[in-house]
Amino acid sequence: MRFRADRDTLLEAVVTASRATTTRAGLAGGIAGLQLSLRGEQLDIVGSDPDLVIEARCQVAGEVDGNVLVPSRLVSDIIRSFDAGAVDVSAGDEEVRFASGQAEFTVRVALGADITRLGSLESEGIKLPAVEFADGLRQVVRAALADDSRAPQLTGVLMEATESGLRLTATDSYRLAFRDFDGLSVLDPGAQVLVPAKALAEVQRLVAGMKDNGAADLLFRHSDLDAVFDLGTVRITSRLLRGAFPDVQRLVPLSYEYELSVGREDFAAALRRVRLLVRDSKDVTTPVRVSLHDGGVELAVLTPESGRAVESVKGEFSGTDVMVAFNPTYLLDGVEAVRSDVLQLRVTDPGKPALVSGEGAGEFRYLLMPVKVS
Amino acid sequence: MTVMAGGSSERDARTGVDVLHVDMDCFYAAVEISDDPSLRNKPVIVGGTGPRGVVASCSYEARAKGVRSAMAMAEARRRCPEAVVLAGSHGRYGEVSARLNAIFRRYTPVVESIALDEAYLDVSGSHRLFGSSHDIAVAVRETIRDELGLQCSVGIGSSKLIAKLASEAAKPRTTATGPQPGRGIVVVAPDREIEFLHPLPVSELAGVGPRTADQLSRLGIHTIGELARIDQGLLCRAVGRAAGVQLHALASGRDDRPVVAHRTVKSIGHEETFPSDEYDGCRLRQEVLRLVDSVATRMRVAEVEGRTVTLKVRFGDFATITRSHSLPGNFLSSSEMAQLCCSLLDSVELSGGVRLIGVSVSSLEPRGSGRGRQLGLLDPSGEVEGGALDTAVGAIRDRYGADALATAALVASRRAGRAGNGDVPVGAVSHDRRAGGRAARGR
Repeated sequence: MRFRADRDTLLEAVVTASRATTTRAGLAGGIAGLQLSLRGEQLDIVGSDPDLVIEARCQVAGEVDGNVLVPSRLVSDIIRSFDAGAVDVSAGDEEVRFASGQAEFTVRVALGADITRLGSLESEGIKLPAVEFADGLRQVVRAALADDSRAPQLTGVLMEATESGLRLTATDSYRLAFRDFDGLSVLDPGAQVLVPAKALAEVQRLVAGMKDNGAADLLFRHSDLDAVFDLGTVRITSRLLRGAFPDVQRLVPLSYEYELSVGREDFAAALRRVRLLVRDSKDVTTPVRVSLHDGGVELAVLTPESGRAVESVKGEFSGTDVMVAFNPTYLLDGVEAVRSDVLQLRVTDPGKPALVSGEGAGEFRYLLMPVKVS
Repeated sequence: MTVMAGGSSERDARTGVDVLHVDMDCFYAAVEISDDPSLRNKPVIVGGTGPRGVVASCSYEARAKGVRSAMAMAEARRRCPEAVVLAGSHGRYGEVSARLNAIFRRYTPVVESIALDEAYLDVSGSHRLFGSSHDIAVAVRETIRDELGLQCSVGIGSSKLIAKLASEAAKPRTTATGPQPGRGIVVVAPDREIEFLHPLPVSELAGVGPRTADQLSRLGIHTIGELARIDQGLLCRAVGRAAGVQLHALASGRDDRPVVAHRTVKSIGHEETFPSDEYDGCRLRQEVLRLVDSVATRMRVAEVEGRTVTLKVRFGDFATITRSHSLPGNFLSSSEMAQLCCSLLDSVELSGGVRLIGVSVSSLEPRGSGRGRQLGLLDPSGEVEGGALDTAVGAIRDRYGADALATAALVASRRAGRAGNGDVPVGAVSHDRRAGGRAARGR
């Protein structure tokens, strides 16, 4: 295999494909491999772990077709270190040569089996509105469970067909985020697929990083086993998760006792400030006490070791005073996912789920269980 | 109560010694005897009852026959065939230990608990209320005897080193004619420390195990006095620099380690060695549940909560693995611990046979330190959350005893144990005993 590529183009493709390998570094004996495949002028770069494959395609000046597996981290670093301009790559049986300007690296090929690619890049798919869909992912993915040993199905985002369109749902069992896309029929009626949040985070990142915002189409298709997202020259293929996603819609209360309307940015800024007292990011047991009162809300964090912080934010609230405690990070996750300028917080009692949403019913809702304080 | 007339409360005006070391006399065995007075004056051994079991504790009657702690149970039974052998109940010992600590804290807040049956007390602030260190020791012993029916030995000195060696000197002795009562309380005045210390064998010093004792013996050192007189450089070359410096200081009676109240416990755990390698997944599961139950009891007694649970498995070939899991932040209820441990167990390939299994909980914090509990959206038993259930179980056990109730899986395992060869799991003994049952006993 031999080709010459533009440094920036090659780097972007290598970095994109490497995102699939870096999530589980150390898998293949410490070296995560990237597969480079050259056919004519087209170079495909594939990074994978057992559940996720990212393929990035770029145009190069090809000389000799071929395949080679290279260590992803090292090759990314090498190409990044080169100055802008041409990069020459040539592969033998045991070594790959990267040269640019006066610099030359000869790198041993990575060990491991060739990466299986799933299908070809030219494919049918349903067109999704890239920017809007990615915005929904940004809102929902955060509520998925990060660690998969407890309940693997909760590390996924449920994509399901509803009567009015598509719904994305995620929960880590403490909070629940969902987003409706009206009029978007992507799945067959009644169908649902459970896509790992990790893969969707990559889709969201990819859309957010698009140069010409919104110009490329996001195409989606799925089988019983995999979901595939195509965006321009990049394809993300993910195994679907098995297991039943809990029936979470029944958890959403039909009505709430108390309702607060408050400026989202003011509330978020106050919450970020009082949260400073929670020093340990894993500590989810030091709550922020949210006291709703006539004319607004007071946020307070009290810790025996560090001290306390209190801040009031003006807002619209009527009713008897009520205090509910939340994990400040979980609450902030919900608040930051709301897009409208006005935030609504609906509460029933300190032991029942509370709802964070934008103004009006809205297509995004975030249900959060309180922290019980004695 | 004696009030010191005009005395300073800083030091014990009479003796100048403020550190007490309280050491329970054959604690596990004594608790068993206190729970069942018919065992009084009999040789009682507590420990693993299976073929690989070791002696954890034994009464002085058993010691008189040559039984010692950490001896193989088979050897102990050979030396003392008439002994009553009990598997013991760590949950019960933990409860008694918590009551002991509560008694200590009536006399001083500075209590450093170093084992279930051992604690240091700094009484420098207690003289005005309770009198001299000796008066306090007398009061502590009487209270423990009256309230718990247990004996202890108390050593009093100016440092932990002296206090600990003094309590050893206060212990009952085993002689050929049977156990002889000890002095109960030994006070070592500061000007008598060297005289007290130097004739003792070096093996009595904290930090001198069999290996170090052997190294010292090669230098011709057998007593603490000989250790104090040797050149420190020579000592350091023999046992290493850090150990050498420390041993030399201790041998010269210098020990400035303070008594630290509420020593932070890093983890609480239990493990069980099987009599023979265990292949049965169901039995392993039951054993895990039983271990979780006793760990949860000890956590409740110690008033701590934890976030991380670790399962340890040692296979027949001694290869050992640990698997752990943390909740995203909440403290674990005992049902969550049980659930997590069972799923960790499921993830381990057990077909090679299991020699030992252990459960421990870490990331501990004092219970209820102004923190909250993150409620879950999906809890199947939404009405009774795990923490509340644990509290209720604890209250019932406090009132009616450790065996008053258990989970159904554990009740089943107890039945199985009882119907078997008398090899009863920990925690299943006392109920039988109260009912007068003898089936669970060794011979």
